[in-house]
Amino acid sequence: MTRLARFERRVLPHLDAAYNLARWLTRNDHDAEDVVQEAFARAFRYFDSLKETDARAWLLAIVRNTGYTWLEKNRPAEVVALEDSGLIGADAEVIGHTAPAESNPEVIVLQSVQKKLVNQALEELPVGFREVLVMRELEDLSYKEIAHIAGVPIGTVMSRLARGREMLRKLVERRMRKAS
Amino acid sequence: MTEPMISRDATYHRAPDALRARIAKSLAGEARESRRPFLWQALGTAFACAAVALVTWIVATGPMSPAADDRIAQEIVNAHVRSLMAPGHLADVTSSDQHTVKPWFAGKLGFAPPVADYDAAGFTLTGGRLDYIEGHAAAAITYRHKLHVVNLFVWPAAAAPDRAPHTHSRQGYSLVGWTRGGMRYCVIADMGAQDLGVLADLVRAPVSAPAS
Repeated sequence: MTRLARFERRVLPHLDAAYNLARWLTRNDHDAEDVVQEAFARAFRYFDSLKETDARAWLLAIVRNTGYTWLEKNRPAEVVALEDSGLIGADAEVIGHTAPAESNPEVIVLQSVQKKLVNQALEELPVGFREVLVMRELEDLSYKEIAHIAGVPIGTVMSRLARGREMLRKLVERRMRKAS
Repeated sequence: MTEPMISRDATYHRAPDALRARIAKSLAGEARESRRPFLWQALGTAFACAAVALVTWIVATGPMSPAADDRIAQEIVNAHVRSLMAPGHLADVTSSDQHTVKPWFAGKLGFAPPVADYDAAGFTLTGGRLDYIEGHAAAAITYRHKLHVVNLFVWPAAAAPDRAPHTHSRQGYSLVGWTRGGMRYCVIADMGAQDLGVLADLVRAPVSAPAS
């Protein structure tokens, strides 16, 4: 099998995951496409460095690096250092719990409003919180994988998740109060 | 209204078909390119580097004189060549673990150099040593990229203004240098400036790349 064929089989299936992360990092379609395209070019170049490990996590690490390089160059103000102190883990899963499914039409409308508010709030979070939430909640990566991709200790991932969820909950609440 | 839940409420953005098609096309292109004769590829890279160097030169040449740039580049090349000359010159601390290499520098320099492993991107941390650049003690952090040895030099230049990465090529080596926060950085290796630029980008990224 050619190198390209192997790449297409192992890496290309994770294009959606790559795009989703890039889209949440850059917060718009056009820039996300640029980042993903650049990331795939790099991934192809470094394909030999992909061992038997998970190709998705490997690709996402490259997407993240490419995305950060892009942010740093184009919107440096968004890349802020986070202080990772206090608060580890304990309430990490509070917001993650599954709510019962609803079918009442009124509830469905409310849910679509809620979707909009959550999307907006997630976009407002500093990128360091946003990325761990996206990787955990939308990509379902393990703490360990996220720590590896983001290049931070697992404890830091857990505290960023907890703080990120808390910030998101407050943002959504505030917007909801404003709306009502 | 229920508790907000990202996994249920936030949008999972799927890649547009147009992007999928574009990537497939550019991959096919790159695969073809990598089969092109080496010489042409090298020449192409050389021209591209020259163009990039010229442009960054014009755009980024700040108050720093070309002569000073030249002198520093020569110092870097000398230090790099010296590090390759004999086994044992390259690193005083040999480890691919950033948590071994970074503390090694502690107390030896008046600053904490950035030490991270970029193995996932093909740049494997191999160690570090002290060097001497521009009249200052410098950190030299070493990487391996395929069969190439890469040195990353970091040294203080308090009065120097920030400067975007700029590329040089000299005696067959590529250099990518930049200045940020009163520190100068330069990566050097006998490889294309574009590939070397990848390491420069990684080092410049605010949060370190994945370890291991």
